[in-house]
Amino acid sequence: MSEEKPLTQEESLALITSMISKAKCDYEETGISALMWGSIVCFCSIISFAGFYQHWVWANYVWFLTIVAVIPQIIIAIRESKRRKFKSHNDDAMSGIWISFGVGIFLMSYFVNLFKVEHEGSLYIIFYGIPTFATGLARNFKPMIIGGIICWAIAIVSFYISFPDIMLLTALAAIIAWFIPGLILRRRYQKLKNENV
Amino acid sequence: MFKDLDPILHSQLRLAVMSLLISVKEAEFTFIKEKTNASAGNISVQINKLKDAGYINVLKQFKDNYPQTICKITPLGIKAFEEYVKNLQTYLSIKK
Repeated sequence: MSEEKPLTQEESLALITSMISKAKCDYEETGISALMWGSIVCFCSIISFAGFYQHWVWANYVWFLTIVAVIPQIIIAIRESKRRKFKSHNDDAMSGIWISFGVGIFLMSYFVNLFKVEHEGSLYIIFYGIPTFATGLARNFKPMIIGGIICWAIAIVSFYISFPDIMLLTALAAIIAWFIPGLILRRRYQKLKNENV
Repeated sequence: MFKDLDPILHSQLRLAVMSLLISVKEAEFTFIKEKTNASAGNISVQINKLKDAGYINVLKQFKDNYPQTICKITPLGIKAFEEYVKNLQTYLSIKK
């Protein structure tokens, strides 16, 4: 591309459109975080469900895995931000949404355990839908928009279902909201990576 | 009546740089180089012209012991770009 090449008005408009689209196309999530959280929440839910029937005492502590998983999440976030050569307009908003979600869910867990809130499973599923839907809308990523809406639909069903069956709904919510969108993002990312090799 | 197109923006590489920067919050020099397929020297010269016009901010820093240049469009740059696109559209509609 030369700097002083005379441009016609049509060429200028075509150049602007092409550059804006190049910048947009370059934005690709690796999908690792979504896959990781989808898998972890699904695993913990199924262990809680199975633990109830199998009388596994340790199954009560399986949710501590979600606290441990914060460490690889921080490492992933740092690596991804180092790899990225640009910052999009809504990157800060996205970080804000997911950090708020992390803090909110931690405080809610503390609250429901402290006051022995019943039917807390539904609250978690409602909560899962919030950042998922917001991310989907901000990034114009339909699988997450649908994932968020399905989370809320699952939450309504969960109002009428009690523990341990509600754990199966939690696993389903995690798969639909995070695991499946994560897989889609991962495939897109791998495809883009292969194209650029 | 229509205004003349901004000469700072009406150049292939500078317009490409501005179009990239309007799409993102900030971008590294290497990103601009990759997307425009221009030489580093050429981009540097154009970035300096945009910077002198007050259309972009350039931040030079070190990342993992390597120099890193980050470019960000300024409010004046956004205004100039919007005005340029508006004038361009006026030209094109008159032509039709």
